[in-house]
Amino acid sequence: MAKAVKILLAGEGGQGVQSVAEIIAEAANEEGREALYIPNFGVEQRGGVSIAYLQIGDEPIGAPKFQTGDIVIALSDRAVHRTRQYVGPQTLFVYDSSIEGIDDALPTQAKKILPIPAIEVSKKELHPRVFNIVIMGAVIKATGVISVEDARNAIEKKLGYKFEKNPQLRELNFRALERGMELVAQLI
Amino acid sequence: MPDKPIEGEKRVFMTGNEVVAWAALAAGAEIMYGYPITPQNEIMHYWTRLAPRYGREFLQTEDELSAGFTTCGGVLAGRKAFTATAGPGNTLMQEPMSMAEAMRLPTVVVIQQRGGPSTATVIYSQQEVTMTTLGGNGEGLRIVYSTANHQELFDYTIKAFNTAWKYRFPTFILGDGYQAKMRESLTIYDPDIRGIELVQAEPFLGKPGVPGVDRPPTQLRNTYNVEEELYEVLEGYFKDYEKIAPEVAEHEAFGLEDAELVVVSHGVVSRACKAAVKELREEGVRVGYFRPITLRPLPVKALRETAEKVGKFLVVESAQGQLARLLKEAAFGCPVEMLELFKPGVGITAEDVVSRVKEITG
Repeated sequence: MAKAVKILLAGEGGQGVQSVAEIIAEAANEEGREALYIPNFGVEQRGGVSIAYLQIGDEPIGAPKFQTGDIVIALSDRAVHRTRQYVGPQTLFVYDSSIEGIDDALPTQAKKILPIPAIEVSKKELHPRVFNIVIMGAVIKATGVISVEDARNAIEKKLGYKFEKNPQLRELNFRALERGMELVAQLI
Repeated sequence: MPDKPIEGEKRVFMTGNEVVAWAALAAGAEIMYGYPITPQNEIMHYWTRLAPRYGREFLQTEDELSAGFTTCGGVLAGRKAFTATAGPGNTLMQEPMSMAEAMRLPTVVVIQQRGGPSTATVIYSQQEVTMTTLGGNGEGLRIVYSTANHQELFDYTIKAFNTAWKYRFPTFILGDGYQAKMRESLTIYDPDIRGIELVQAEPFLGKPGVPGVDRPPTQLRNTYNVEEELYEVLEGYFKDYEKIAPEVAEHEAFGLEDAELVVVSHGVVSRACKAAVKELREEGVRVGYFRPITLRPLPVKALRETAEKVGKFLVVESAQGQLARLLKEAAFGCPVEMLELFKPGVGITAEDVVSRVKEITG
């Protein structure tokens, strides 16, 4: 039996890493798979790096947190520094290519390092608000933990009430999901 | 007003704190008294949102001392009452729960352990084992269930109300910050459809009949003038506790038949231990898994049987030996060596356990 996929998302408060983790976890649960999501919480949440630990598998998940992620996504300067410890020889390390001055901080032992222009793409092509959905697209493309269809359904479930008022938002979110997937597809 | 909070059963995906609120509703809890403290806050939040829909009550008190004593008061009035707390709040809770022991009150308290001593972290630990099992100026006349996942959090919260009202000892659900805050799936259900009969609450005072003639008088005391009188009452309590202990004690275990080393843990840490033991056994390592579900009373018989035939216990906990101390007392005289993996206030992963076992077995 395959082991659960371990995903770690880290960013600044407001970048939406927790909501991405939650949406993916709920989508996996809807598929009938086992999912466990836990945020880091505590005083750190105010002014520190926000980290989401997410595991998805076919059997009940073990410990809620883990030492090494299968995929680690860092979305800010501080997040890169903070998440190095979760990177091992089998880890796919994804970070935003707009983060400057972190070349020395990038993990050296990762299986693969993928810089993606998620911040730029969301700002120029889409809307900064859907940045986290771009990231969600990147995560599901890189891990295959849920299907695109289920990802869309999960977004619909979470944001449907907003889409009803403004149907263009639906289009924007789904486009963001696709762009996120494309950004990773180009690199792997 | 809908009669039942949960119709039939359904698979849900939620945080542990939300699970506790639903379970308390399903168990027929009538009132929660509480004072906020992380990481249990959302039990109160969900309860205050859900309770009015089903005619249940909530009272926020000025601190945990008061939350504990009002819970005692609710129970005395014949209501299924509960509270929830953590860390320094649990410290204050020991005073009212000591009274609950003295008066044999079926209070239910949910503890979501955080780091200690003192304020420490608001996050996670297993450092409230000693306090929850043996706290207060008493003799540990209480029942403590240590849950490991959301399904158990639901199942045992319902059970806690039944255990408390059946045996009349204060009953605790011992969770932790991880269980409180993480989301995973579980099935919530109407206890009826699982054949779970809810023990009915009843008032302690104002029972029918003439006291001393038709029925024994109700004596609710936590104060005694004479040493011998206290002694006599306590002797009765100890006898009751000893009698129910084997009935209440629960554990889970596997791989004991050929084990040379048994990993012993409780609560959320047992998830890591279970995964580690399974992995090691697949590699041919003769290792077993033992997990007390009740920390008070401990499953002494099963524990001693295991300790008699296995050479080594590896005690794994997110505390500096609080479970280990209980185990040493329970297994006193058994020829078992107690080894340790203690990480106070920090989570433990399956990888941690695997590497510690390999270090021991060589």
